[in-house]
Amino acid sequence: MSTLLSLSNDLAAAVARVAPAIVSVNARRRLPSTGIHWRPGIVVTAHHTVRVDDDITVSRPDGRAVRATLAGRDASTDLAVLTVQDAELPVVEVADSTALSIGHIVLAVGYGPRASLGVVSALGGRWRTWRGGDIDQLVCADLVLYPGFSGGPLVDAQGRVVGMNTSGLSRQVPLAIPTSVVTRVTDELVKSGRIARGYIGVGLQPVRLPETMTRALGLTGTAGLVVVNLEPDGPAARAGLLIGDILIALDGKPVGETDDVQAALGPLRAGARVTISLVRGGARTDVELTVGERPQPRR
Amino acid sequence: VSAIGLDDSMVAVAAGLRRVTARVIDGDRPSHGAGVVWTGDGVIVTNAHVARRHATVVLADGRRFAARIEACDVRSDLAALRIDASVQPADVGDSDRLRVGDLVLAVGHPFGLSGALTTGLVHALGPHDGLAPARFIHAAVRLAPGNSGGPLADASGRVIGVNSMVVGGLALAVPSNVVVDFLRRARVIRDGSPLL
Repeated sequence: MSTLLSLSNDLAAAVARVAPAIVSVNARRRLPSTGIHWRPGIVVTAHHTVRVDDDITVSRPDGRAVRATLAGRDASTDLAVLTVQDAELPVVEVADSTALSIGHIVLAVGYGPRASLGVVSALGGRWRTWRGGDIDQLVCADLVLYPGFSGGPLVDAQGRVVGMNTSGLSRQVPLAIPTSVVTRVTDELVKSGRIARGYIGVGLQPVRLPETMTRALGLTGTAGLVVVNLEPDGPAARAGLLIGDILIALDGKPVGETDDVQAALGPLRAGARVTISLVRGGARTDVELTVGERPQPRR
Repeated sequence: VSAIGLDDSMVAVAAGLRRVTARVIDGDRPSHGAGVVWTGDGVIVTNAHVARRHATVVLADGRRFAARIEACDVRSDLAALRIDASVQPADVGDSDRLRVGDLVLAVGHPFGLSGALTTGLVHALGPHDGLAPARFIHAAVRLAPGNSGGPLADASGRVIGVNSMVVGGLALAVPSNVVVDFLRRARVIRDGSPLL
């Protein structure tokens, strides 16, 4: 058999292997999205494609529609988890995305099934989404995510799932959420229905601190975060923070970028106390506040 | 040979190609282009539109050099830079042997990604309407601005073109043989015979 024909057959086999566990998710008008039957009774999909919270159905590859319940969603990692009652639906085989190399052949699979072929284009370390989600690994594929492919699997040449595709986290390149993140977020959503993240209710913007100020106040950092927005009655407002305050440290750890604050707050739970060091009117002051919980966006 | 075997060859070819793909920074412009390490004595080929004045070259291993612009041809959109370093050069292929349907790979730095790989097929060979008489490799490969000046390679990892623009969704690359002619004419490389 020719190499080309053999490759073609192998790709078709990889799609056939994953396809029985891939469903369409009907949770928005017009176009359904794709869902992955991750574990018995658990379907994961892309949060941004789930526009309603009730009356969601998923359709199996044979066309049969099954009722699904939204177990929870996490906008920061663009994941939504549905529960379904369907004993016959097989589950996907999940593989470790850290075994990927640039150049590996991968397929994006959408409901139907439909497939799109490409290679792993770029890999990187831990990164934070524009909505503050913490993603273990950057996985970019050189392939086309056709309409409705978001929420579907990125699969390797053996038909194993290495990530969930989404167009919701970058407009420029198709990204995949690594399997480790999907499993971790799914576990927490199934357990508690939401991802709890520390929240203080401020909008911040980085500013460079003038040398005269750092010298006068004995600061080690050269940047701070100026408060440009305050959630009315949010944790920060209640603790007395004002617009124009410059945050320089959280619990003694210097902050110079908004990422530093998200990294510090991420693991904290509602009720935890933090000490915020800030510069107000040219003088240093410390404010204690009680961390709240980020209000869940509806979509 | 199966998809798994091909997969491993693709990974190996991609790794080799990424090693000879440089990042080219022109002055203070925020956008970066790519470049190909063409010779072992430090000639880096890129697009003329990538390196206009002061080029800084960052090699795949992270080493950073101020480069001299030795030759520049706006018409063919090629520039030859030189850095003072001994480097592992690209394996340059014969672009006249390309056929429509050949598998090709591109490496560049689009959207802030570093050394990103895209793949596709040779779509057509020859001049492009409106850009004649220059010859191009037309490839169905996804490119973005950070790919400019980077390599287009065949399935063996031999560089057969320098990516220079995107027209109608297709990549247009300057064939490697045109690049070699440019380097010889500009006397950046010698073709063996003594020059008179």
